[in-house]
Amino acid sequence: MAAGVAAWLPFARAAAIGWMPVASAPMPAPPRDKRRTQDGLIILNVSGSRFQTWRNTLERYPDTLLGSTERDFFYHEETNEYFFDRDPDIFRHILNFYRTGKLHYPRHECISAYDEELAFFGIIPEIIGDCCYEEYKDRRRENAERIEDDEDKDNSNDLPPPDMSFRETMWRAFENPHTSTMALVFYYVTGFFIAVSVMANVVETVPCGKTQNRVEMSCGDRYALAFFCLDTACVMIFTVEYLLRLMAAPNRFKFVKSVMSVIDVVAIMPYYIGLVMSDNEDVSGAFVTLRVFRVFRIFKFSRHSAGLRILGYTLKSCASELGFLLFSLTMAIIIFATVMFYAEKGSTASKFTSIPAAFWYTIVTMTTLGYGDMVPKTIVGKVFGSICSLSGVLVIALPVPVIVSNFSRIYHQSQRAEKRRAQKKTRLARIHATKSGGTNAYLQYKRNGLLAETEEEACKEAGQALVCKANPVFETEHHHLLHCLEKTTNHEFVDEQTFKSSCLEVSMVKAPSRSSSISSATSGGGGGLSSCCSRRNKRKSFTVSNANMAGRRGSVQELSTIQIRERPITNSRSSLNAKFDETVRLNSEPPYLTAAVISMPTPPVTTPEGDESASTPDFLQSNIVRVSAL
Amino acid sequence: MSVRWETEGLQTVGIVCLVFMFLKLMHLLGLIDITETDSSDSDLELSTVRHQPEGLDQLQSQTKFTKKELQSLYRGFKNECPSGLVDEETFKTIYSQFFPQGDATTYAHFLFNAFDQDRNGSIRFEDFVIGLSVLLRGTVTEKLNWAFNLYDINKDGYITKEEMLLIMQSIYDMMGRYTYPMVRDEAPSEHVEKFFQKMDRNRDGVVTIDEFIETCQKDENIMSSMQLFENVI
Repeated sequence: MAAGVAAWLPFARAAAIGWMPVASAPMPAPPRDKRRTQDGLIILNVSGSRFQTWRNTLERYPDTLLGSTERDFFYHEETNEYFFDRDPDIFRHILNFYRTGKLHYPRHECISAYDEELAFFGIIPEIIGDCCYEEYKDRRRENAERIEDDEDKDNSNDLPPPDMSFRETMWRAFENPHTSTMALVFYYVTGFFIAVSVMANVVETVPCGKTQNRVEMSCGDRYALAFFCLDTACVMIFTVEYLLRLMAAPNRFKFVKSVMSVIDVVAIMPYYIGLVMSDNEDVSGAFVTLRVFRVFRIFKFSRHSAGLRILGYTLKSCASELGFLLFSLTMAIIIFATVMFYAEKGSTASKFTSIPAAFWYTIVTMTTLGYGDMVPKTIVGKVFGSICSLSGVLVIALPVPVIVSNFSRIYHQSQRAEKRRAQKKTRLARIHATKSGGTNAYLQYKRNGLLAETEEEACKEAGQALVCKANPVFETEHHHLLHCLEKTTNHEFVDEQTFKSSCLEVSMVKAPSRSSSISSATSGGGGGLSSCCSRRNKRKSFTVSNANMAGRRGSVQELSTIQIRERPITNSRSSLNAKFDETVRLNSEPPYLTAAVISMPTPPVTTPEGDESASTPDFLQSNIVRVSAL
Repeated sequence: MSVRWETEGLQTVGIVCLVFMFLKLMHLLGLIDITETDSSDSDLELSTVRHQPEGLDQLQSQTKFTKKELQSLYRGFKNECPSGLVDEETFKTIYSQFFPQGDATTYAHFLFNAFDQDRNGSIRFEDFVIGLSVLLRGTVTEKLNWAFNLYDINKDGYITKEEMLLIMQSIYDMMGRYTYPMVRDEAPSEHVEKFFQKMDRNRDGVVTIDEFIETCQKDENIMSSMQLFENVI
């Protein structure tokens, strides 16, 4: 029921008196009227901007924050108002929702900020009014696409996990040629052979030279053997490539169904069918048709060119517009062909012998080609012919902008993805620089062995004037917390370079380490250790709840350095492998090492984002199999 | 011969098409005027009509509400109808929202007429508040008067069986289809019969205001139910 209508409820109840005299049974007792508070003004202080409204206005929507008792949590007694530490500009819209019953979306606001405010105040975005809903949904979709693109393309640029199976390596090489030199070589070789094959098909038909009978012979017939060898070589390569891809595909059925695989098959099938078929006269006609399909090899280039893929995708997404274009053209063609036929029927030696014959004229005229092989001779014919060409321009021009805008949107999207990837590196580097200042503080703090000393001395010795100035109390407490964590898990924090070097070394010494590993570590241990780097890469959801360094979705290592440091802690077989600094130190204290920590609870510093819980199980899993010092 | 006819026929068609397009072009250029009835202006009238209620003090003297109550009522009223007037369609929409299962439009129509004292097709805030005042703060006699006014559709001072049947039917309509036990088609007329047996003293087939008030005052159920909505505001 609309909230505004709730104001009329007293009226409806009062009007019920009209039923009383005709009632056949006594009425039920009215609900106990708890002495309702007089309608008063409520002051809402949102970051300094005071909003005032009637209490009843807010209570129209009792399932939101402001309409329920939840707002009491924000009551500020000294000033007798409700204080919210949120954005006052967006709050204006939210309050208007209570007043008018319609929620509007302001176009100049960022969609995520708006969403957050709505979520905070407990308002579902579906009640956004029709005037603004479309815009809201569009912006939201755009934003989601943007973020989704980010995540998809992430893995491709990162270090590959060291122990992927051969099959997975191959698949990676196929899908992304920049991963290794071999892949790149393969990429270019296949591209070259596609080009060669297509060129051969084309050159085959060029006439070169005459036989004795003065008959033009095409090059294909003259050098039949050479072309056959070339064709065979190309098809061999394509077949090998296809089989390799088929073998490496993680999901074979899906691969077989995909468009590219169909193109591959269509490209190489004619050759094999030609081999199999005999030189029979009857079937050679069909054989010739099959040779046409060889030209589909050119579509194999779409693996090499993103632009082609975009074009294909655009056409697919504009299917309805294209369908409309086709339909309207067909209608117009039939109408005009009929008219022209009857108009030209009278004239002598008219080329318009039948309506289907007139189709050709209509199509040529409507698309403004105008070959001139069929021309109307009567005046009526000419009049209708001119109307035909004018309308042709209009009918074709209508759906084209839709297709163009679709193409432009998709193209810009892919461009945006490229741009983002390019910008990401610099962005991350800059963020990393600002963060490392703070995180280094802790390491220095430890390195100088000042665990028990007061904070001032730590500041002095650490020599990081910056850190001292900025919120020292917070820093101390935070450092204490990290220290507690270290003691809990018997691992220590290190910095990034050490970790990176250790990770690489670990992968190199993987084989021996595995054998010498303690049996309790299960097979997951080895995998877990080697996946330390992959974990780092795949981490998306952990944010460091560190006020100084608001770590966001750290999908790449640089973003949340603290979490990286934790990885080696959980993953390290310190005594076995690494040449970490810390393990050197740890080695010197064997008693600590023997206390094996099998499963570490999710570290209190990193708090998983609620939405991406997918990675959380990963992390937990990696915790559990990790048997550290042993 | 037929060929010639066809060609000539086509020529005529062609000429007609040309003439038509020429006229359309002229109209577009504004040289001639092919007028059609345009209805765009009529919508303006309703939206510019606005009504301001009488002053707060006057209303206070006319009704039994306090100033604060009047303020609160007016705020709710104005929120739903910014123009200050409720027309019958809006009224029906608002009232129907309280009874989603059935069809409340007929009863809303009767209610609307009961509130719209001066029969001008729209309820002003004064009508609204005066009606509410009677219903919520009036004496029992006043309330019974109001109910009688509601039932008496043509306001002639008598409730006939037909009028009562219409009212009863509209009340049963509000129940909708899904009731237990199912509403039979004869239920309204039976109910009307019962009502008339109770109310119509002199068996003349109509109920007058005095019969109505007298009978109701003797009935305890009705008396107690009249007090039911005292505390609604």
